[in-house]
Amino acid sequence: MFSTVLSGALIGVSAYLVSAEVDIAQGLPCFSMVGSLGGEVKESRERVSVALKNAGFELPPKRITVNLSPADKRKDGTAFDLAIAIGILEALGYFEADASKDILFLGELGLDGEVKKVRGVLPIVREAAKRGIRQCIVPAVNAGEGAVIPGIRVRGAAHISEVFAFLREREESMRELILPAQGVGRGEESSEEREKQLDFADVYGQEGAKRAAEIAAAGFHNLLMVGPPGAGKSMIAKRIPGIMPPLTLEESLEVTTVASVAGILEEGSGLVTKRPFCSPHHTISQPALVGGSINPRPGVISLAHRGVLFLDELPEFQRASLDAMRQPLEERKVYVSRMGASVVFPSEFMLVCAMNPCPCGYYPDRNRCKCTESQIKRYMGKVSGPILDRIDLCVELQPVAISGLHMGSGEESSEAIRKRVLRARERQAERFQGSHCRFNADIDVTNIGEFCALGAEEKAFAEKLYDSLQLSARAYHRIIKVARTIADLEGAERIGTEHLMEASFYRPSLEYWI
Amino acid sequence: MQIKENKQEIWRLDQGDAEYPDRLREIPSSPKRLFGIGRLPDENLPSVAMIGARDCSEYGKYVAKGLGTLLGREGIQVISGMARGIDGIGQRAALEAGGSSFGILGSGVDICYPAENRDLYERLMICGGIVSEYEPGTPARPQNFAARNRIVSGLADVVVVVEARMKSGTLITVDMALEQGREVYAVPGRITERLSDGCNSLIRFGAGMLLDGKDFVREVWDVFERKRTGNTRLGKEIRTKMKECENLRSGKERGDEKKKDGDRMTQLPLPLSEIYDALDFAPKSVSEIKRGLTEQYEDRQIITYLMQLCMEEMAVQVSPGQFCIRKK
Repeated sequence: MFSTVLSGALIGVSAYLVSAEVDIAQGLPCFSMVGSLGGEVKESRERVSVALKNAGFELPPKRITVNLSPADKRKDGTAFDLAIAIGILEALGYFEADASKDILFLGELGLDGEVKKVRGVLPIVREAAKRGIRQCIVPAVNAGEGAVIPGIRVRGAAHISEVFAFLREREESMRELILPAQGVGRGEESSEEREKQLDFADVYGQEGAKRAAEIAAAGFHNLLMVGPPGAGKSMIAKRIPGIMPPLTLEESLEVTTVASVAGILEEGSGLVTKRPFCSPHHTISQPALVGGSINPRPGVISLAHRGVLFLDELPEFQRASLDAMRQPLEERKVYVSRMGASVVFPSEFMLVCAMNPCPCGYYPDRNRCKCTESQIKRYMGKVSGPILDRIDLCVELQPVAISGLHMGSGEESSEAIRKRVLRARERQAERFQGSHCRFNADIDVTNIGEFCALGAEEKAFAEKLYDSLQLSARAYHRIIKVARTIADLEGAERIGTEHLMEASFYRPSLEYWI
Repeated sequence: MQIKENKQEIWRLDQGDAEYPDRLREIPSSPKRLFGIGRLPDENLPSVAMIGARDCSEYGKYVAKGLGTLLGREGIQVISGMARGIDGIGQRAALEAGGSSFGILGSGVDICYPAENRDLYERLMICGGIVSEYEPGTPARPQNFAARNRIVSGLADVVVVVEARMKSGTLITVDMALEQGREVYAVPGRITERLSDGCNSLIRFGAGMLLDGKDFVREVWDVFERKRTGNTRLGKEIRTKMKECENLRSGKERGDEKKKDGDRMTQLPLPLSEIYDALDFAPKSVSEIKRGLTEQYEDRQIITYLMQLCMEEMAVQVSPGQFCIRKK
């Protein structure tokens, strides 16, 4: 009258296996659950007993005890429902004891016995495969994401009666009631998906901003766009993922894992093949941005992993939220420590910000802008300095002339820009072989001499630039890094003076406003 | 009475004191007492109040700097409010040219407002003075500034407006200056620039038009002498004397200037000189600059040329995407 059924739980983006132990004994009728359970897990008792009744199984008036082991780890979520229900059926002898052996169950139960979607299927299935488990039964809508893991059979079930029928059949041939999900195409974007993506050909004019976006995408530099309302800042930001190189399989798995843990994967989808683009509203709280809650969940900066995080109206964001991004921007991952657990989420994103130049939006056109200097200063002061310090490129957008809005095509497509970006990335991959850097944006003071060597002429030129533009040491290094990317885009081996000059045009600087 | 504070001596003068400036005695509602650090404007030298917008344009900056330098070099004292924009730029330039300048504050003399002009504040103590009618320790209050302006124009013989919007504090100062019988000059600007509207309308209503610095200096001396002696004869004598010196000096300098400008232009290769010509004191974006060129260039090329001009200090990037001309 005892059974053990496997399930899994999440900590951050990693997973661990949980066994649901069920004992049914004589005694006063009761259904108790133990194992350091959160609210949703305790409620599982009601869902499981009603779902079993409605699926046609009668629970006997006996003492039912369920333990979720390891019992010292706090458990949250509804994914244990299915495992508990199967454990009870097994303990009651509805099917043979070894039928559920080496199968991992995940799923939330509806009161009618329906198996509903849960979050975190991908990392749990991956953990199961690592531990040598051969089969998983997951909600039908989640089967796609589970199926991307090689070496494990993932079956999707829509109702508990299907799972029961599957376990009762002894012969493999009869078990095809729930078919294993097919592995989905890996890494490659479908042509259909490509077509759906936004294209830079739709953006008329704004050559400077487009060029900055291209440089930023090529070197994974953070970008700030300044311009009046309606100039096309968001339009350009949304098109940046489209000119970045396609996700590799490894990257794709990482992105899918974060999305799976956050529970935002589309139903029935497998691997995510599109680079993420996250655009949180400026009222976003700090935990929502960097990750949090009692049982830590990824924040927006992790959802934007390997993609673009777009902060529109940068000065309107709460300072505390922005400041919390400093460490993730530096280390490319975020540590979230809470009472429940301390976890690490990946957060390798490209930061794209947009803002108006002043409260009214027309500075430095003194004929239209009526803002006083102190108003502009106050507005700029709302942007946290440490965040501006981590921005490599700054570009100003001009208001669009009406003639521009009626003009047709003739603009460069995203595909053409992407080709150049890809070439630049290949050059970087070659250069950074065997170092911790991956993009030009990763270059720091210690290795700038190695990766961004300047010739004698260029060195003299850069020094002149440093003096005449009154740069800070940090700004100087940033210009050199951006110049490296511009040279990569051109396919140039060495950084030339023209690259330095173009890079200095895009230097972010507060001195304009103050 | 003398108060020791911050190692700088703050003096106090009452209206009855002999050292109280004569220029202030004659104005309506002259301040009962004055506090200060450093000196007071010399009664035997002319002084000019240079006033204008705080949020001035590149044009205003250029004019204020040039005028301040000229006045400083000519030994004419520059009076202003030590504010951001025109005030501070003009005073700094005068001090750099070796002249003297006086900052009239709307706060106590021991308080530096705005704080970013601390460098100017400290230099004014040495090469001029800080003056206020408020007790030391009085914080800067907006309502004090209009009253402060009457001292700015009161201590000057001539008031010159470099840049002002139509409704602005600068024009309030001009009203007071006229009430006090001071000569008012304005620097003309384009009719399309809102920051020049105030100046242009002053000219329309009869203010003196500042077209040439040298002429202006001559007129300042003239006004000063006329006022001091009460007759124009002496003024005329001085003026002719000055003119002689002037001619000697300015002829040489003007020639120098032309030569300098010519040198610079011949040094510039074609695309740079063309782009330099397309620049203006009003900010222009890259696409606007592009429109002013006869040859077709890519944006990227224009950016490179513009940055080159910035490095030569012939242009200035006023915002991430806009440029102004810069003249030394």
